[in-house]
Amino acid sequence: MKRRHFFSGAATAVAAASVGRAALAALPEIPQHGSADTAVPPAPPTGRPFRPVVTLNGWSLPWRMNAGVKEFHLVAEPVVREFAPGFVAHLWGYNGQSPGPTIEVVEGDRVRIFVTNRLPEHTSVHWHGQRLPNGMDGVSGLNQPAIPAGKTFVYEFTARRPGTFMYHPHADEMTQMAMGLMGLWITHPRLDARGRHPLIATADRDYAFLLNAFAVEAGTRTPRVNEMTDFNIWAWNSRVFPGISPLVARRGERVRVRVGNLTMTNHPIHIHGHEFEVTGTDGGAVPPGARWPEVTTDIAVGQMRQIEFVADEPGDWAVHCHKSHHTMGAMGHDVPTMIGVDHRGLVAKIQKIVPDYMVMGERGMADMGAMEMPLPENTLPMMTGTGPYGPLEMGGMFSVLKVREHLAAGDWRDPGDYVQPPGTQAWEWQGAAADLPPAPAAPAASTAPQAGAATVRKPGPGGTGHAH
Amino acid sequence: MTAPRTAAWGALAAALLLAGCASVSPDGLRSQVQTLADGRSAGVAAPALPSADPAARARADAAIVQWLAGPLAADDAVRIALLRNPGLQARLAALGVADAQRVQALTLPNPTLTLGRFRSGHEREIERTLGLGLIDLVTLPWRTRWQGQQMEQATLDAAQDVVRLAFDTRRAWLRAVAAEQVAATQERMHEAADAGAELARRMARVGNWSRLQQAREQALWADSAAQLARARLDAATEREQLSRLMGLWGPAAHYTLPDRLPNLPVEPEASEGIEARALRERLDVRAARLELDRVADTEGFAGVAPWAGGIGLAYTRNTTTEQDTGHADVKRGWEVELAVPLFDWGGAARSQARGRTLQSAAQLQDVALRARSEARTAWLGYRTAYDLARQQRDAVVPLRRFISEETTLRYNGMLASVWQMLAEARASSQAVANALQAQRDFWLAEADLQRALAGTSGGASSAVASTALPGAAAGRAANPESQGH
Ligand SMILES: [Cu+2]
Repeated sequence: MKRRHFFSGAATAVAAASVGRAALAALPEIPQHGSADTAVPPAPPTGRPFRPVVTLNGWSLPWRMNAGVKEFHLVAEPVVREFAPGFVAHLWGYNGQSPGPTIEVVEGDRVRIFVTNRLPEHTSVHWHGQRLPNGMDGVSGLNQPAIPAGKTFVYEFTARRPGTFMYHPHADEMTQMAMGLMGLWITHPRLDARGRHPLIATADRDYAFLLNAFAVEAGTRTPRVNEMTDFNIWAWNSRVFPGISPLVARRGERVRVRVGNLTMTNHPIHIHGHEFEVTGTDGGAVPPGARWPEVTTDIAVGQMRQIEFVADEPGDWAVHCHKSHHTMGAMGHDVPTMIGVDHRGLVAKIQKIVPDYMVMGERGMADMGAMEMPLPENTLPMMTGTGPYGPLEMGGMFSVLKVREHLAAGDWRDPGDYVQPPGTQAWEWQGAAADLPPAPAAPAASTAPQAGAATVRKPGPGGTGHAH
Repeated sequence: MTAPRTAAWGALAAALLLAGCASVSPDGLRSQVQTLADGRSAGVAAPALPSADPAARARADAAIVQWLAGPLAADDAVRIALLRNPGLQARLAALGVADAQRVQALTLPNPTLTLGRFRSGHEREIERTLGLGLIDLVTLPWRTRWQGQQMEQATLDAAQDVVRLAFDTRRAWLRAVAAEQVAATQERMHEAADAGAELARRMARVGNWSRLQQAREQALWADSAAQLARARLDAATEREQLSRLMGLWGPAAHYTLPDRLPNLPVEPEASEGIEARALRERLDVRAARLELDRVADTEGFAGVAPWAGGIGLAYTRNTTTEQDTGHADVKRGWEVELAVPLFDWGGAARSQARGRTLQSAAQLQDVALRARSEARTAWLGYRTAYDLARQQRDAVVPLRRFISEETTLRYNGMLASVWQMLAEARASSQAVANALQAQRDFWLAEADLQRALAGTSGGASSAVASTALPGAAAGRAANPESQGH
């Protein structure tokens, strides 16, 4: 992870021709972010203090204070997003990235957001989950006219409820979200004199990401916006494994993970090695008495979940969506199953016609994880990634929780592979097979007629007699 | 006494001399045919024609054996056809026959000797008359010229048949080579379908596919098997056609063909001056021009012929012997026989001749018009075939290959199935087969163009319309007698 430099290379973005320079002169500057690496925000320079979240492969939007009001400036515009090294897509985003920067405020803050539209069509911003005046809710046509291309609208309200929120367009919504136009909003709780909140614990590590899905065909670089169900890129913050930053924690730290779902299906998010509790939902903090331990929590469409646990098991622990095809790269859903098909005598024959042909799938798909075969341009393998012990055979919504004994409090860097204590890893049995405990087979299904039982012959074509 | 005798002998000598000029060509005019066909024999320089000389025949046989030993080149196929095609041999033999007939026609009729013995009361008369019809003698120079022209025309006709045979053989060679290549491509396509069908069978066997899915691949296999059978038949038929034109059969017909057609030229020939070249070089235009000359030449003579036809000259020596005295009286004298132009002044003959001249002029115009038009058509066909072949080679085949490669990449990524990959490989092979056929069509069009510019009219064959029956154009050359001349 790279430390971000908030104002260094960012602030001098030139306004697009459609947005007059003079018109933007009085607005807050337009911070831009140029990389898909995780940018850890600094402590807030102005306003009420809070502990910023770390947006996986994202960043938080700087603001300016104007007479006690926090002023942000979002610019909706076409962006180029790297999903992982070797795979880049043309998306729509905010301030140079998809998803847009995370907006972080504190409960009770007066917030003014300037939204400049540099898209080719109109847009709007809906502040998903917030309590706000009806005219600020952002449903174009219902609450406001849409923001035309080239125009800037201003939203202003008070962040009344602490929690995890999202923002996204509510104009040509399906297209714009299929193109990646979305972002996170965190309202930190107002703390008491002792720096506490009755329902919201202070987390040592506070991670946040959005679940998003795209349909990007192999060899292309623009999502198919009209896809309804058959998505092939399952992403966290418009990143896929192995492009997703790890979640790093020192042993014993309290870790919070905030997840919002802006895809069209649910995602059971699963963390290895630990139990967690859902401490907050879309509706706010969950009372402690209503929490229960889990290792997987399902996040339905349009929902947000805030989960917390103490990272007390050192190691590299998988964190992923439990729908196994969501931890895959782009795959051909119509490709037939080849398992168990004898290819003997056919390989040479096919290679005469297609010299680069190799057998795949005869034994299963694991070949994919190890083979490095040329693929269509701008396409990631269906399964990829290599760990210290071999191929991970993963893709999509997959990352690693890295718990280590000794980490500085502010150190968010990838600590590398976990070195397991000797004797704590599964090993290959070297002894004699006879020394193994017996592995009894499951009892055979009792279809054979028992001695003495009447033999029943069923009538009808085909009968019950199995010819083969 | 001496003077008329000398004159008579002189006339006879002159007649004999003239008659002697018209001797039979020793090689049956083959060298003339060969000279005319040179530069027009489908790109082959000075190909030999079958010779009557046994030594030359042996040399030709040796050369043919050598040409047939390696992959048979197009030029060698043309050479073999010109040496071995039986139809052409018959054609050339017929030309020799015509030549002999010409010489026969120019031979003067033998003079007539009339002997008479008459007896009257006191006299015995012996009459000896040596008569000679003068018409043949008088017209001999003209007739020699006309017969010569006619033979020249017959030679031109024969040369056109040589040219046609040369081009037809070249076309047959192109078709045979392309058909073999196309069959090889079909072979590859069938192997792809075969692999797909076998894999489908194994898929169904282990339960990964239904019998329906398997049946689809099986159907593809059956289609490709039928296509392959047709392609093989095509290759055999085209090769048979080539062998027939070359006059080969039996073991000699077991030659191999090259495995590729010549490459397309970098630049196609331009269309400048093609009509002028056709008018200048085509043999049929030349023949029509010659015919007009000949007919016009005879026109002046036509008016004279009716009354000149009866000219006769006779020398008579009569001996009259008186029986009583035994005194013999000898009478010598000349007799000239002339037709009196009382009824036929030759007007009808002259009109007939004039009509013939007009007819020939119109025919020349017709031939020239056709030559120009064929030159243009052939060039257009040539140019279009070139563009189509280039497009197939430079655009379609690379595109298909690219699609096939990209599909393989998708197969690598488990984004496409092995059957999709095989289907694209089949489509790619089909594009190669189409490109081969387009390349063949270009060279066929090129042969047509060369023939149309320098050779002669080729009948109805067209290269771009590749669906034409392969043997249709060649049938003529194998039976050249069918052309009227
Ligand atoms: Cu999922």
